Parts: sequence; structure tokens; C-alpha cells
Amino acid sequence: MSDPIRIAVLGCGTITRGEHLPAILRNPQVRLVALVDASEDQASKLIQHFKLDCRACGDYRTIWGEIDAVINALPNHLHAPVTLEAIAKGVHVLCEKPLAIRADDARACAAAAEANNIVLVVGMNRRFQHNHELLRAVLNEGTLGRLQNYDWQMGGPFDWNSASGFYFSKDQAGGGVLLDYGVHLLDSLISWFGPVTEFKYEDDDWGSGIEANVRLWLRHQGTHGAVSGQVRLSRTYPLSNRLLVQGTDARAELPVESPDAVLLHRQLQGRAVTDELEFASSGKIGSSTFDRQLNNFVRSIQKLETPRVDAQQAARVLELVERCYVRRERLPEPWSEAGATAGVRT
Amino acid sequence: MTWRDKTVFVTGATGFIGGRVCERLIQAGCKNVSAFVHTPHRAARIGRLPIQLRLGSLTNRSSVREALGNANLVVHCGLGVGRGIVEGTENLLEASAAAGVERFVHMSTAAVYGLTPKPGSETEDAPLPHTGELYCDNKGRAERSVLSFGRRGLPVAILRPSIVYGPYSAWSTRLIPDLRERRVSFIEGGKGACNTTYVDNLIDAVFLCFEKQEALGQAFFITDGERLTWGDFIQAHVKMLGEEITLPNLSLQEIRDYRRRQPGMFKGSLRATGQALRSRELRQLLLRIPVTKRALDAVWHWSASLDERSRDRIRARVGIRPAIPAATGNHRPIPDDDTVATQSTTVFFSIEKAKKLLGYSPRIRFTEGIALVEEWLRFANYL
Repeated sequence: MSDPIRIAVLGCGTITRGEHLPAILRNPQVRLVALVDASEDQASKLIQHFKLDCRACGDYRTIWGEIDAVINALPNHLHAPVTLEAIAKGVHVLCEKPLAIRADDARACAAAAEANNIVLVVGMNRRFQHNHELLRAVLNEGTLGRLQNYDWQMGGPFDWNSASGFYFSKDQAGGGVLLDYGVHLLDSLISWFGPVTEFKYEDDDWGSGIEANVRLWLRHQGTHGAVSGQVRLSRTYPLSNRLLVQGTDARAELPVESPDAVLLHRQLQGRAVTDELEFASSGKIGSSTFDRQLNNFVRSIQKLETPRVDAQQAARVLELVERCYVRRERLPEPWSEAGATAGVRT
Repeated sequence: MTWRDKTVFVTGATGFIGGRVCERLIQAGCKNVSAFVHTPHRAARIGRLPIQLRLGSLTNRSSVREALGNANLVVHCGLGVGRGIVEGTENLLEASAAAGVERFVHMSTAAVYGLTPKPGSETEDAPLPHTGELYCDNKGRAERSVLSFGRRGLPVAILRPSIVYGPYSAWSTRLIPDLRERRVSFIEGGKGACNTTYVDNLIDAVFLCFEKQEALGQAFFITDGERLTWGDFIQAHVKMLGEEITLPNLSLQEIRDYRRRQPGMFKGSLRATGQALRSRELRQLLLRIPVTKRALDAVWHWSASLDERSRDRIRARVGIRPAIPAATGNHRPIPDDDTVATQSTTVFFSIEKAKKLLGYSPRIRFTEGIALVEEWLRFANYL
């Protein structure tokens, strides 16, 4: 086995504490060298909390010489610029999504990584849910018959305990729910159904640029032909949190509460039945999508695998996000309009 | 220059009423709105508005002063817990007085007369009673502080809405699933007075307080001015579900009898804990807390060492049995104490004072308001 990869984490917020650090500590192929946060105190606290043998650091520019790789978990607006700096220093990057808040910057990251022979992977951890690969297999196998449409709803009252509170700053977050977890869904949909050829996009942004609700109608053209579907995202309403893909023979369901299973609903001699598909051997118990993602990053650096989600794919998703924002229509909220004006006597 | 050109500072902005205040200010054309936010992750609704979010806590004086800045108008919908209700209000009053605020609209509640207001509290001149309810009494104390600052020159006005409903209101978002799961009974045939206040009617009153000199130093009941019962309010939600639901009825005497038969504090707590632990989400949350994780692990190990029958006996004792809501012998769900108290009043508050002094006139009648709620509930996936 080769020497462990020396790694640092930039940004000591909720995702680092809850996911990236535990994944690093479970992975024998990496050695944590430093935790970096603009608030060095925050980094120190985390080191104490996890009893880590690494240093706390307030400025990421001082660590390049000591590391082979970084996880960039800074607020969104710092993803692209800091990733570019790391690439220039010859450091491999696992960058949290979205890779950038503009597609141009994402493409620049992709080009720089390629030119410098650097591994740049993007934290679309949902790609490592087993149901992602399972659904792809179901589609390829033709189990659903001819594909008719899909419906994906994801959302609930926002409860991400952001340490820096950047989520509601347009400058730092770059956008709202579409750029936040919308990119996960778009990434998956493009990977299953192919590029988007037509769309209609609505959101409920009233002028801050931070939308909380999105309705999106998409049409793809790919290996399964033309497929259309709709996506609903929310940070305020409890949605059904599932993807349904309807085919002529059966319907596939990805329930959010079991990320490693696909349900297949179909008719058996006139009666409705449901099969639950899971990989028979689904890897180590307790391995989270962040473990699998880190493993893919490490093995990509070791040239044993290729990145599951590279910067090119992230850039394609961000191009679509940008087009959505440009062509946005205001999501109708008739209860709100009527409440403000109904019965006004002139 | 009208109030629309001024800088407005809203507390409690991530809540149901404060959030709608922010939306209405933007709809009215206000350009300078700042919202005081205590819990950023609840800010998704107001985060989409072109307003400034200012983080802080009402109980932290310097954060209140800093966030208030040089605002001209204050709408205080922020709450707090227990004495924090009073302390937070006083901090904001002090900062507002120091900043020369032109209008301080205090969102109080008709519950200053208790959860079950007694006859005689129909008009604002009825003296505030000691209710024995933490929330009610602290809201009463907060009102007294507001009036005292008013006497010292701060231009204050107090609004006392009652059952504020509308899109995002928990009355509706709780009632719908409760009805679906048959957890609702009528209390005394649902004949209790339900002083509905459509949220936009209430906000009309806020804006009137900005405009009218007559508002100063006064408290106003704000309702829709209709004499609805709790039966009407609940039935309106039943109708949305589009199913035939016949709700069981309970008399206050039956509820009292049921409560008397209930286990005492220790046994009751044990049972309630057992029932709460039936929730997978709660168990997972508790497992994240090292001390509760250790305790749960210990209980798990201990119970694993028992034979099947002892385990079942204990499970029955602590209430880990098939989920049945608290119900009487013939399966009539028993509402909690606050619900019983809220739904047993006979008092309809008068809005004559608001009409006379503010020119308040409820714009949206219940039939229209509840239709807007239904439209929203459908969009928001509750229906």
C-alpha cells in the first residue's frame, strides 16, 4: 500500500463536522494534516472535539506545501477561487457542491485541473447512493418499458444549521434552493436521462436572489430517447421527497428515507405489487455516501479509478442552473397577492 | 413622505406573522426593511425578499441596538421564552427610545386575558388579570412595559389579535394531519368562541398604526369581527379534506373525568417517554447525544438480557404498545390542556375601538381567508 495521502479540510462548518471529518477518520488511506477555518478557534474546537492529531490553521495559503489534497468545504463563493489556487499549487481537490456560483468559473476549474494533471472531484455525494446506480441499471435493462415521465420532489422546512449563515447572502451563496440541493437533482437527472433540451423554470424569489421554492419542467434527449419530467424543490414546505419514474410497464420509486433501494411498482396478473431492489452485497455497514465519495477521490488520485463526478459534469449542471435563473418566471402565489389586495376599497 | 418611504425593523421575522409582515411591507413598496433574525435556518421564507437580515437575539441588548440601527418604524413580533418575552421587549423598547423610533407597534395577544378569557374581557378597558399561564402573564407584563415607555414619549401602539390564521399558520398545518389521523374531537359540540383573525387583516392594522396618531398609547383587539365557533373553524378544514369525517364530541366534564383517572407525574412521565421513544427520528437524534446514547445503550443491553415475557410486560408498562392517541373508552381523542382551554371561551372580542380610532375594517372575511389557506395548503403539499 502506498503512503497515506496528506489531506487538509478547508472550512469547519456543519458538513465538515458531520460528514467529511468522520469519513476521513474512517479512511486509512488518508492522513489529516490540518483543519483550516477563517476562525482558527472554530478549527481548534473541532480538533479538540474529535481529539485529532493535526493542526488548526486560520489561513489556507500557509498549508499548500504540507499536503497532497484538500476538501474545499468553504462557503459557495469561495469554492472556485480557492480550488483554482489549490490546483495551481499542485494540490488535488474534492470541492463541495456547487463547484462555483457561475458556470464560467466551473469551466475554468475544469480546464486548470486538466492542464495541471490534478484530480478535481465535486461533492455530489448523492451519486454514491446505491439507488443512483440501481436506477441506471433498471433503466438500461428496460424494466420500466418505454419511459413516460418523471416527478421528483425534494424539500422540507430548511434546517441546515449553517455555522457562517452564508445561505441567505446572495453574494456568498450565489442563489437559493436550486443552486443548493437542486444541483444534486439536476446532476442525477442529466446522468440518467441525458442533456436537457427544453425547460421551463419558476421560483419564488422576490428580489433577494435566494429562492426557497422551485418548479421546473425538463425535457431530456439521451440514450432512452426523449424523456420529460418535473422537479419541485422547497425550503419551506414538506414535499414528498421521492422520485417517481413512470414507464409503460412499471414505475420506479426512489424514496429518500432509503437511499440504497429502488422500489419497483408494477402489475402482476392484474394486482399491484412492489419489489424492493437492493445490491445483494452493499459494501461495509456504516459506509456513508461521504465515505464512498472520499474513497473515489483517493482512488482517483492513486489512478485506480476515475472520478464519479468531475468538474466538466459539474459545469454542465451549473450551465443549466444559470439558464434557469436567466429565464426564470415568478412562481404564482395567489394567496399572497390576494391577501395584500383583496377587498381594497378605492 | 409616507411610512412606505421609511426604514422598518421587524422582529420575529422568521415566524408566521413577522414573515407575512415582511412580505406585506415589500408588497406595499417599502424599500428599506430589515428583519431581526434569531434562528437563521428558519429564514428561508423571508430570505427570498429584498430585505436585510440582521442576526441577533432580543435578550442580547447590544445586538438589538446594533440591528435596529436608525430604523423609523418597529414591528415587534418577536417572542422569546418565559421572562424572555418581557426582557426582550424591554431591550427593544430601550433601543427604540434611544434611536428616536417614530412608531413602535407591539404584537401582543388577546391571550393577555388568559387562554380562556372570562366574560367581561370583551373590550380593551378590562383590566389585565393574573392568569397563572406563563405565556399569558408575560405577554401582559410586556404590554405594561410598552405602555410605560409610551408614557415616557415613545410612540407605541399595541395590537391584540386572537386566533391568527392564514398561509403558514400552525393552526391549519397541525389541524390537517390531526384530522387525517382522527386525533380531533369537538369540545362541547365545538360551540366555543373562535376569534379568527386573518393574518392580512392583522397586518392592515399594523399599517394603520403607522398612519394614525390615534393609535398612540392604545391597545386594540384585532379580529375578523365575525362570530365563528371552533366548530366552524374545524369544519372548514374537514371540508378541505374532501372526506366524510364525523368528529366525536367531548364535554368538559368528560375531559375532567378522564384527566382524573390518569397516572400521576412519575408514572405518566415514564409512559410518555416510552411513547416518545417509539419515534425513530427521536431515537436517532438521542443517539447523537453522547450521554443519552450511553443511557439508551445501557437500557438496550439490559432489555436484551430479559426473557420475552418480561420484556413485553415492561413494554406495556411504559406504553410501548401499538400507537393509540390518548382516547376515551369509545375512541374519542382527548385534546391537550391548552387546546381545551383555548376552545372553551365564550368571549367574542369587540373590534369597535380599532374601527373607531384606527379606521380598521376587516378586509378579508372568513370564507375568503379560509379559501386562500386551502389554496396555500394544496400548494404546500399539506392537502
